[in-house]
Amino acid sequence: MRPKLNAVGWAGLMVCLLAFAGEGQAQAAVLKLEAQLVWGTDDSKPPAGKNYQPVQPELKKKLKDLPLKWSNYFEVNRKSLEVKAGETRKEPMSDKCEILVKHLDNSDLEVSLIGKGKEVMKRRQSLPRGEILVLGGNAPNATAWLVILRQAE
Amino acid sequence: MKDLSSAEDQELVRAAQGGDMPAFEELVARHRDKLYARAYTMMRNEEEAIDLTQEAWVKGWQRLGQFHGESSFGTWMTRIVINLCLDQLRKQKRQRTESLDEINEESGGVERQMPVVTVNPTAGLERVELRQRIDRALGQMSYEHRTVLVLHEFEEMEYKQIAKEMKCSIGTVMSRLFYARRKLAALLADLRKGDTQ
Amino acid sequence: MMDYQQQLDLQAYLDGELSEAKARRVAAWLAQDAEAAALAIELRQTRSAVTGYEKEIRLPESREFYWSKIQREIQRQERAEPNAERLPEWLKVIRRLLMPATAMAMVAFIAVMVGRQPTGIPSETALTDTGAMTYRDFEKGATLVWLSYPADNEFADYEAAMFE
Repeated sequence: MRPKLNAVGWAGLMVCLLAFAGEGQAQAAVLKLEAQLVWGTDDSKPPAGKNYQPVQPELKKKLKDLPLKWSNYFEVNRKSLEVKAGETRKEPMSDKCEILVKHLDNSDLEVSLIGKGKEVMKRRQSLPRGEILVLGGNAPNATAWLVILRQAE
Repeated sequence: MKDLSSAEDQELVRAAQGGDMPAFEELVARHRDKLYARAYTMMRNEEEAIDLTQEAWVKGWQRLGQFHGESSFGTWMTRIVINLCLDQLRKQKRQRTESLDEINEESGGVERQMPVVTVNPTAGLERVELRQRIDRALGQMSYEHRTVLVLHEFEEMEYKQIAKEMKCSIGTVMSRLFYARRKLAALLADLRKGDTQ
Repeated sequence: MMDYQQQLDLQAYLDGELSEAKARRVAAWLAQDAEAAALAIELRQTRSAVTGYEKEIRLPESREFYWSKIQREIQRQERAEPNAERLPEWLKVIRRLLMPATAMAMVAFIAVMVGRQPTGIPSETALTDTGAMTYRDFEKGATLVWLSYPADNEFADYEAAMFE
């Protein structure tokens, strides 16, 4: 026996089908991200024995435009992440800390920082291409650590 | 209860717990300035402070059954108003981005390098004038620093209690309190410098 | 020159927050270090300056006007929930918990029906309140999230761990 739907029923069915279609498209989208661990300092050189390179001029300018007071920024580590919509990727930035990125939808992310197994920060952020998200805090000897997240070129 | 104005707080509280509204009104009259002062110090806005204290009094009436005299009634009410202020400040913080000054407060470690202030900030000042200067100085701080100062200096809370109220670590309380004190000293010294120029 | 931890220890000593043994060590150091002694004076003077600050502040409304608004609100709330006081405490707790859950369920249902994520995320939302502060430069497309120092005992170690 064929189901009978009135106008409201058909409208509801269309909405559901569209919702699932949209869901399917979102699931396929992959976001390619880059995460950099950066050390902010007034020293002109990295610590002895460490081969950190100065960050690229374009990034240094972006950091200088933010209310950060350090003169120099050195890249400690750089990681690439590919995250499908709805999925979470975890990437260690150093021996004892990690970044967790959940791809919510389009360029919406949920970003967490984990230090020694403990979540220290979680936020939701829209990160369109060309924009950066900088998470930071004070480090010993009046320096700073920064984790910079952006879409990969 | 015949003469409310001469009754002790305890008696008024007992009466109010039994539904005696005039007894509660007498308690409001006795403690309203202190509560308002605390809310104003935290919020830096007259209207908000008035609204939040009124909300605190309404909650106080509703929760009278939970007051068992572990602290004084005034202290109990002050804690209600502090929590309302903290909730409001957190809500406001989530809805706005911070000013550059506020970011610099937290990111610079500047308080460690501030020269020690050697001029006594209160010397030679009338009470009213000193209050105005402290008012201005408090208004220039971020809410986190002002709050930790209020809770420690006025509410006389220990670091552990402040950490619980502000939902942060004891280390954060210590560094914020240190910054707030040093910034206050520097601001008061600057204001004094302005006198002589 | 004092390091930051020494400065914090000095503050904790003046606030009576140190253990006896540590307080004795700080007191001994304070007696010999001129820089520390100067900082101690500054901290004490600042504390003394703010004592009594709030005593001068007065609520800028008359007793009757201020009270009338409180009374009206109490009466309004009691009219809205006339039986609230008679409910046992455990039932009030359950009702408080269920009402937001029901509202959330409704929002989620409606959102799913129109094919959108139910969270309705604003572009930046802090989910864990660590005392982080946010600065956003819309023009340059940059967001800075700064965690308070030290954000947490574990996190203080974490800062050093970042570069190990």
